[in-house]
Amino acid sequence: MSKTKITIAVTGLNNTDNPGPGVPVIRSLKDSSEFEVRIIGLVYETLEPGIYMEGLCDKIFQIPYPSAGSDELIDRIEEIHRREPFEVLIPNFDAELFSFMKNEDRLLKSGIHTFLPTLKQFQERDKDKLPEFGEKYGIKVPASLNLGSQNQISEIKAKFEYPVMVKGKFYDAYMAYNSEQVKQAFNKISSKWGLPVIIQEFVKGTEVNVIALGDGQGNTIAAVPMRKQYITDKGKAWGGITLSDDKMLEITRSLIRKTNWKGGMELELIKTVKGEYYLIEINPRIPAWVYLAVGAGQNIPEALVKLALGHELAPMESYKSGKMFVRYSYDIIVDLEKFETIAMNGEL
Amino acid sequence: MKITDEVRISDNGFIFNSKTGDSFNVNPTGLELTKLIAQGYDFDTIKNIFLQKYDLDDLTFEKDFYEFCALIKYHQITSQENPLDFK
Repeated sequence: MSKTKITIAVTGLNNTDNPGPGVPVIRSLKDSSEFEVRIIGLVYETLEPGIYMEGLCDKIFQIPYPSAGSDELIDRIEEIHRREPFEVLIPNFDAELFSFMKNEDRLLKSGIHTFLPTLKQFQERDKDKLPEFGEKYGIKVPASLNLGSQNQISEIKAKFEYPVMVKGKFYDAYMAYNSEQVKQAFNKISSKWGLPVIIQEFVKGTEVNVIALGDGQGNTIAAVPMRKQYITDKGKAWGGITLSDDKMLEITRSLIRKTNWKGGMELELIKTVKGEYYLIEINPRIPAWVYLAVGAGQNIPEALVKLALGHELAPMESYKSGKMFVRYSYDIIVDLEKFETIAMNGEL
Repeated sequence: MKITDEVRISDNGFIFNSKTGDSFNVNPTGLELTKLIAQGYDFDTIKNIFLQKYDLDDLTFEKDFYEFCALIKYHQITSQENPLDFK
């Protein structure tokens, strides 16, 4: 069977020690049995490793950070699309998702398909709204408190037992054993990610994750549970293994059904020794360990592209448990000309 | 007591629990014991097999057997409805 030729734009090529999902998303798309993909890499920084990886992207363009303004970002995307047309855009950064969701219709009018959660879905799973989310959809979540200022740190003692987790709205999480440590974490997080800073009850157990894809009509098209086996000091998975855990799949399917979730997602759960599951976070995008799901039998990026193009898909029911991934670092030798071209021209 | 469905036992002594993602290495005696439990043999049968095969007394076997069972139960390799039931 001949493959369908398609051009796809992908962000998040920062395969650093805090890796973006772009590179594994591209690897997954290149593994597709149905698509022959041409990849446009969209980068924010000139040192994102995906720019320099041989055979990964066919063309690279630099784009402005969403903080420069949504319009500026979308204008640039449209300009790139005019020069190098692409059918589907897969954004992979939390911080850029809002801009792309808000401009979904505008992008579609230009011929750019996306498959992202709705603004409502995106906002109601915000970390600072997790208790309301848990109550609405009937899932256990740790108790939490949103701190708008340092003065509120004294409230923690009355509501929680130490240790507690101190989290940023988008990224970063620290465990704090006393108010002094909360204060330090508060300052670090608020200066980087703004307010509120979230105090979350520490739930003792094993962290487990599920990568999933919802079709926007309540159906779970793909879902693979995983446990991190090796975690970096930034809390990122450097090794993981797929699990055979029906309860995790049941939680995922129930959540996708109740929220009509559209797009990729990662559920972060804590499994206690009693076998209870607490939802600690929902990432509204494909996570960086997506290639493990492909290795286990579910090509989620390929399915996401099909959904973006309006295809109807049957749920993928099976995957192999006990499949592992082990991440590694690798030095690429790069000629200065390449760096110069991307730095000066904003494309390569 | 039974070995849970998610547990895979390799002949070289590698045990993998696909529900928790944990893996363990057991020595040849541990492997033999795990396999006998997996085959559904009760405590008395396993004891007789071990006493016939090895230079071992009743008490030592019982002590080691229960210790081993507690360990594999803790790691969710076995499930046991009644904690005193070793059938």
